[in-house]
Amino acid sequence: MTTRLEALDPIAGSGAVDQLRRMADRLRPTRLVHVNSTRIGGGVAELLTGIIPLWNELGIETRWEVIEGDQAFFEVTKAMHNALQGFKTNIGKPLLDHYIEINRRNAEKLDFEADYAVINDPQPAYLIEFMRERAQKWIWRCHIDASRPDRNVWRFLWEAVRKYDASIFSMPGFARNLPHPQYLLYPSIDPLSDKNRELSPEEVSGVMDRLEIERDKPIILQVSRFDSFKDPLGVIQAFEMVHAHTPCRLVLAGGEATDDPEGPRIFAEVQEAARGIADITLLLLHPESHYEVNALQRAADIIVQKSVREGFGLTVTEAMWKGKPVIGGAAGGIVMQVQNFRTGFLVNSPEGCALRIRYLLRHPEVGKRMGKFAKEFVRNYFLVTRNLRDYLSLMLLFRGPDGSRRGRPGRLVVL
Amino acid sequence: MVALDQPALNPFWFHECVILTMPTGRTAVNLKEMLQTIGEVDTAVLSYHLWQSRMAIAHPEVEYPNDFAVWAANSLQDSRLAEKLSVIDPFNYEDMEQIREALSEVIEDYMWNLPSVPWARPGFEFHFCEASTVVLARPRIVAGTFSEFRRGVAEVGIDSIYYHFVDARWRLRKLKTDDFSIWLQDSYGVPELVGALQGIDLWFFTLEEIRKALLKLIDQYIEKPYDDTVGSS
Repeated sequence: MTTRLEALDPIAGSGAVDQLRRMADRLRPTRLVHVNSTRIGGGVAELLTGIIPLWNELGIETRWEVIEGDQAFFEVTKAMHNALQGFKTNIGKPLLDHYIEINRRNAEKLDFEADYAVINDPQPAYLIEFMRERAQKWIWRCHIDASRPDRNVWRFLWEAVRKYDASIFSMPGFARNLPHPQYLLYPSIDPLSDKNRELSPEEVSGVMDRLEIERDKPIILQVSRFDSFKDPLGVIQAFEMVHAHTPCRLVLAGGEATDDPEGPRIFAEVQEAARGIADITLLLLHPESHYEVNALQRAADIIVQKSVREGFGLTVTEAMWKGKPVIGGAAGGIVMQVQNFRTGFLVNSPEGCALRIRYLLRHPEVGKRMGKFAKEFVRNYFLVTRNLRDYLSLMLLFRGPDGSRRGRPGRLVVL
Repeated sequence: MVALDQPALNPFWFHECVILTMPTGRTAVNLKEMLQTIGEVDTAVLSYHLWQSRMAIAHPEVEYPNDFAVWAANSLQDSRLAEKLSVIDPFNYEDMEQIREALSEVIEDYMWNLPSVPWARPGFEFHFCEASTVVLARPRIVAGTFSEFRRGVAEVGIDSIYYHFVDARWRLRKLKTDDFSIWLQDSYGVPELVGALQGIDLWFFTLEEIRKALLKLIDQYIEKPYDDTVGSS
């Protein structure tokens, strides 16, 4: 039976999988643990779902731990998430104390012993306060656009984050003033997952029929949580401007993550905005509707990700992998993911979004060329093999030439 | 001309190389800050933005050859400055301090005649980074003959092309050569081929395009046409 790594080999190309195996050979035995706050829904859970089995195939003994919290905890962490993205917020001391207490309770329950603990995002950031000795190296992995964080919330998090041995951000601008080395790792997609694997035309048609989306007109698609930073209302505005000139359909598809209490409110606002506009389909998908999202992306003619704040748009990478031109908001990681005028367009307003949609509807051959470039770009930089390689490199930098672990990672390792 | 199966004096080991980007936390929001920061940062930061970053990420088409020029064009919307910054070839300098001086000189000279300091659009600030490097010296591919070398160039990852042909230009700048050229000259005494390799303009090719250019030149020096089309399309 073909292993996942073997299946990735021809897709990633250039001996990428063989390289991973040789790098992992240098690290074994190594125990790694990833910690986050949800197993289902959202980009981080998806990333971990894809990467954990690969770690174990490489012989890096890896566990995925999920912290548990109550409604109040997730309200606080959502507020922290928004605050890191620059939204002014005021989280009172009792709530911050509750956040710390939930971290403490989780630390009591978690029973890992690891060489490397990768703590994803703010939710479990304070675990280090209660279980430092349980992992040799602590790495904070921030997936959020923290380029202009709310000062008070950042100061609170900084108290814990400064104790880590390294941190990882998705864009250079997200890095903060921290007393340890900071790295840039691009989030990746798994080309074997239901979300990204090849689908036959029949499979795509089957899903479109089931979702009752007609394919009589070009389809414009945005896939993302119903979250104000993804600007679904701006997409509807743009669509109205295009629709006045050119027949087309808009599909806004999103799911709810279990750690996002804001979703239902925003979805209601979007429903209200779309009311009475023809050719708009709103889909509230189950968080695990990966196969459906795959089919939607393959059926779409143009994919939009009009975020006004974005850590790193995984949906952008997914769309590019399917050979589609992407119109992305000029925000956060999207600026680096989309090369303006080559793999898609960057826009700053609903008007700009409408302008580029109209252009691509009139010039489908340009969209095809952009999509071709986009797919190769993803193959080179944003597949899960690249993510594994970068993590392996970081672990190798933490080891001295004799294999012993260093206090701080080195700057050059020759193996 | 070189026979395909002609053995080399020593095998060529195709090393692999991973560059991890390390944001420094320093930022420039306008050209004045750019000038000041270029003057202050560790030279590792300059190396990163002049040539190492193309290993970290490189878009499908090269428009400007270094990050400073790209920033001038895209963030300051100043293609004239971008053109001036594009001219700097770091491999023509003896040390990084000279490069720092050259960069500063271009920007200072440019700013001299400007009525005001150009600012980057919000969200398009320049973020200074440096690199950590992992070199895998026990390679997947080792070449003992000319044909094996040709096949190696066609099959290795672009990180290997970067390490031996781009980064090597800096490591071997005093000799004005690179790893491939040294091996080819030592093994086969092919000064014309080596001269042609030196003529490849690194700055306006992607790494994949550099690979294709290398293969094209190598094929011209093979005694009979090489029938393996791998990597030459």
